[in-house]
Amino acid sequence: MAGDVSPHPPSPSPFGRGGAQSLPRCLGLLALLLGGCAHRDRIVVGSKNFTESDLLGEIVAQQIERRTGLPVARRFHLGGTFVCHRAITSGQIDLYVEYTGTAYTAVLKHAAVADRDSVYRTVARDYAQQFGLVWGKPFGFNNTFAITVRRRDATRYGLQRISDLARVAPRWKAGFGYEFLERADGFRGLASVYALRFAAPPTAMDLGLTYRALAEGKVDVIAGNSTDGQVQALDLMVLEDDRHYFPPYEAAPVMRQVAIKRHPDIAAALAQLEGRISDAEMRRLNALADVEHRDIATIARDWLRASVP
Amino acid sequence: MNLWNFYARNSQEVLGLVGQHLYLVAISTGAAIMIGVPLGILLTRRPAWRGPVLGVANVFQTVPSLALFGFLIPLPFIGGIGATTAIVALVLYALLPIVRNSYEGIAGVDPAVREAGRGMGMTDWQLLTQVELPLGFGVILAGVRVATVVSVGTATIAAAIGAGGLGVYIFRGVAVVDDTLILAGALPAALMALAADGLLGVAERRFGWRAT
Repeated sequence: MAGDVSPHPPSPSPFGRGGAQSLPRCLGLLALLLGGCAHRDRIVVGSKNFTESDLLGEIVAQQIERRTGLPVARRFHLGGTFVCHRAITSGQIDLYVEYTGTAYTAVLKHAAVADRDSVYRTVARDYAQQFGLVWGKPFGFNNTFAITVRRRDATRYGLQRISDLARVAPRWKAGFGYEFLERADGFRGLASVYALRFAAPPTAMDLGLTYRALAEGKVDVIAGNSTDGQVQALDLMVLEDDRHYFPPYEAAPVMRQVAIKRHPDIAAALAQLEGRISDAEMRRLNALADVEHRDIATIARDWLRASVP
Repeated sequence: MNLWNFYARNSQEVLGLVGQHLYLVAISTGAAIMIGVPLGILLTRRPAWRGPVLGVANVFQTVPSLALFGFLIPLPFIGGIGATTAIVALVLYALLPIVRNSYEGIAGVDPAVREAGRGMGMTDWQLLTQVELPLGFGVILAGVRVATVVSVGTATIAAAIGAGGLGVYIFRGVAVVDDTLILAGALPAALMALAADGLLGVAERRFGWRAT
């Protein structure tokens, strides 16, 4: 992935035959490589392995390119929070887009709270102290977990809020992603806050497959993301979190302090994106990619041109 | 290291997942052998089918597991969510080395030996069971060995479709940024792969006469 740029020069084969001639060539090559490393002005942007993260990564990358003129390398679709966090703390990538609630509970392991500002403040402070990372300003939308059911079931059983689910849960099957089952702000807390008891323990499966399983009737309730494009495409319905169980998940760029110090104009360029993407806007952009299969780079370019002229 | 604490506290769960993992590998590799070996032998009798059959087996290798699961969910009998879907996927992934080596094992038998058998008046069935299979056994077993070792690793993806196995710890660990959980799944899977490789290696040396 991000580490596939080898630090070792390709071994020059002509050792032994005409060594006197090839030595200067080797030194020249070495100098070229060292020189290339020394002024490494390239910014590496990462993203997690789902559409929204790729989209935001591309928007951030293009914004940096057009405002600062710096070359940007993309390391997209890395394997989730874990891999992105490892990549940025080890310097393999310079920035990626993270969600405040995810950083708060999954990375920093704090117990969940529902207050937007205190989550952002805590995350920004702890990331600076523990990892040398800077949180930029949030883009404006909140991508919370979305407890999702089929629309025809919602109509049939009169489901609108998560608390309505308790009535039907004993006859229903749930399918959740591993992240949702494992996280402090995931299923266990949800089940106790809403007194949910399902027919069987929820099936643990890949997040992307849960939509498919729900649409095909293999499970009855899943936990997707509130900005996913599939909700409308597959005729599903998101239930309201009426007891405010979930913390805020505001998306914002996370950047390495050293990179920002070297190029302060990056922070300035990304500050222009603050508050520019609403929940509905993010859902629309996701649907363009997931449902209409438009190219991510094109979606990002069109959006930047229209929204951040 | 807190990996050992983790195992001590969750020994019941670990054993359960190891059991599920072995079950997935055993059933899928068994089915792949029952399909793959006869198929490979059939290809030596029908050389024209060789290209298409190996081509299809090759294509299965290149389909990412999540995409394959996506296709399988809506299908009746072999689809849905749970162990069945995972086993179907693992069988498809295990087919290529088994079919290929079964074909190579039989096709690689010295033509002179085969001619001698025929000269003695052997039927095709006798030739297969008394000459070709014994001589090609080592190569076929090598294919089974590769398929088994690969399956032990690949079976971790069963956790993506609710079929359990050691992948559960890996997926959970990746989801919540927890090294100990990832290792808790990866370490027994690696040991299992090494054990399978060692055991089948011994069998290969004991029974393998290479047809040269």
